[in-house]
Amino acid sequence: MIPDTQVPAAKPAAKYRSQLRIYVDMMYVIQRENNEAKPTRILYGANLSHDRLVKYLEELQSLGVIQETGIDDKVYSLTQKGTEFLNNFRRVESFASAFGFKI
Amino acid sequence: MVGPSWFFGFGSMMEFISFVIAIAVAYQALKAYKLSKEKTLLYLNLSFVLIGAGLLIDGLSSLIVLLARAHREFLYLFGVGYTINFFAQLVAYGLLVYAYVHQTRNLTAATEVLAAVPVMFFERNAVTELILIFLLVYIAIQTGINYSIHKNTNSMLVFGAFASLSVAHVFFLIFTVAPLFYPFAQITQLFGFLLLLAMLLRVNQPA
Repeated sequence: MIPDTQVPAAKPAAKYRSQLRIYVDMMYVIQRENNEAKPTRILYGANLSHDRLVKYLEELQSLGVIQETGIDDKVYSLTQKGTEFLNNFRRVESFASAFGFKI
Repeated sequence: MVGPSWFFGFGSMMEFISFVIAIAVAYQALKAYKLSKEKTLLYLNLSFVLIGAGLLIDGLSSLIVLLARAHREFLYLFGVGYTINFFAQLVAYGLLVYAYVHQTRNLTAATEVLAAVPVMFFERNAVTELILIFLLVYIAIQTGINYSIHKNTNSMLVFGAFASLSVAHVFFLIFTVAPLFYPFAQITQLFGFLLLLAMLLRVNQPA
């Protein structure tokens, strides 16, 4: 699970949510690609600009939820921590959605 | 709330079961809030904590009266338990209505007034049961709309739960003139919470 401390509390809630949503969308793309996604796939899948992709990939790596696994080409995969986070998020999303609340 | 004497222990037992389910829903909502920082989920958490606390207090007070039935001085606990449970539910469902209004982008004057209802009528005991029904029907409609959009089992279970709770409170209202309706009200209320439990179990089943 991504610790709360990773996102500054001073940021507005909407900004935090959108950042979390982007993180999750990127991680979903990696998972969909059999846990081996090239940056281009993540860029299109999560609908990001190149600059933001680079920024968020670095952030996700520093959070320890994804890792760079490619030798010649850059390929990203979810870590164990990332897989657990995504499973938790899926449960939470499903729970909130049952009540009609969006995350 | 008294009800027929033959139903005495069962009512408390059902309220304890409902209390456990309400707290489980509150816990799940808290977990969801911690992860997402979405305020509506905090309202959902507070709402179910209040519902659970109200049910526990009402169940406990009924049980104390039942166990000490030889001592008539304990009878006032019925009123205390019911009143606390009633106001806890009033605030809880008011919070849920607020959560639905809060997440709706196009606020209308009507929905703003609707959210303020529990505050305005907080002390009017004569109409409070009707207000609870009013709030629950509003929540049931919102969850029904959500089900009509998503068409999945979890949203259907939540819609079914709030529809059952609405019917239960209609029975509680009728009970004031026809005591036979008290068991129906309790059973329908328990059924509503069991639907919420089914949703929780589905959400938490391994992927």
